[in-house]
Amino acid sequence: MTPPRRQFLRCAGLSLWFALGVTHAAGNDAAQTLQPLAKPFVAPDFTLPDDDGNTHRLSDYRGKVVVLNFWATWCPPCRYEMPSMERAHKKVQGENIVLLAVNVGESEDKVFEFTGQYPVSFQLLLDTDGTVIRKYPVIGLPTTFVIDPRGVVTHRAIGGREWDDEQLLGQLRKLLTH
Amino acid sequence: MHLKASSYQPGSDGDGVTLAGTTTSRVVTTQGVEIKLANTVSTAVRPAIWAALTAIGLLLMAQPVAALVNTGTDDEARLPYWEIVEPGVSIRLVQRLPDQTRGFFQARGFSVADAELIAQSCVFQTVFRNLSSASKPVKIEYDLNAWVIQAAGAKRGMKTREVWKKIWTGRRAPRAAQLAFEWGLLPTRQAYGPGDYNWGMSVFGLAPGTEFTLDVVWQQNGERRMARLPGVRCAPDIHPLPDSP
Repeated sequence: MTPPRRQFLRCAGLSLWFALGVTHAAGNDAAQTLQPLAKPFVAPDFTLPDDDGNTHRLSDYRGKVVVLNFWATWCPPCRYEMPSMERAHKKVQGENIVLLAVNVGESEDKVFEFTGQYPVSFQLLLDTDGTVIRKYPVIGLPTTFVIDPRGVVTHRAIGGREWDDEQLLGQLRKLLTH
Repeated sequence: MHLKASSYQPGSDGDGVTLAGTTTSRVVTTQGVEIKLANTVSTAVRPAIWAALTAIGLLLMAQPVAALVNTGTDDEARLPYWEIVEPGVSIRLVQRLPDQTRGFFQARGFSVADAELIAQSCVFQTVFRNLSSASKPVKIEYDLNAWVIQAAGAKRGMKTREVWKKIWTGRRAPRAAQLAFEWGLLPTRQAYGPGDYNWGMSVFGLAPGTEFTLDVVWQQNGERRMARLPGVRCAPDIHPLPDSP
């Protein structure tokens, strides 16, 4: 093989690695992004029971960053993101960041059955008649809102995310310093 | 399996740009550069230039500029799918067997008759994704009312949440069932930022086994885009048996 030809193949190999790397990086970048809202709004308050029968009022979490997730057990991307929400919950313990996952339209028994397969330690709230989801601009499940310590919804994610991704957690932590 | 591309901008007639056409134009461009380089660049530098051109080519292939229509068997559902892939967006339709749909909606409170009505209406699981990155964000919007179904020489629109809501009200379907139905369907309208996506059922109002063409329309950074999915087939009403051990 002539030297220029060898040189070409070496360069082409490096180029292939570079091209695949760029494409892969772009994919990761796309997946773990929270959209800042063009028009942040005050989070509508609500009171909902959790799967243990305790009630939770959203405004009681004022002063913390709240990740408010709307989900259902039958929704595949909702299920896929649950383990990463659990890992994120463990990572941010003691950091004034809380995760609240609001199940839409299902019974306590259904949610209990689900947690047998996907055990989680963050709060699962029950919006059995869909009253709370209608207070938020949700069009499809899952949709997640990020509420800053002042109680203002600042970011949104449509579809699942890898919630324990450091870049994404960085976006949440940044809200604590504002 | 890769089939063919059929994508066009508003104002074009017919099916517009094909994948083959796009590939050819790229080759012509590349050859143009090659000829110019052959006349002006020394032999020692030429391999590096070739490598750079290869890299550009690979990047272009990784980010297709014309609509690709893929079809095959979805890994998870193990049923046929049809998929459009364009820079910044992908839309996948995966068949749902009528029996799956019956089971799903009966388990959520619909009567046997109501679940049957949905099951016989050609339901697909639909995954609509914004593939753009935060560093090069693209805004994607769609409205299912702009999508066109062509079957047996007739055109029709999608059966959206709003259409079904009237049906369920008329049939007095239980509230819990209506709620599950509403959130189970692909939203009628949606706007996606980078990384956003939805999974949802889409209903075509056709009999099981019917073949149709679907014109998928969306806005990309405010510009109207359209891609045609030919030869999509509603799942037949069959009752598959489990695989043999």
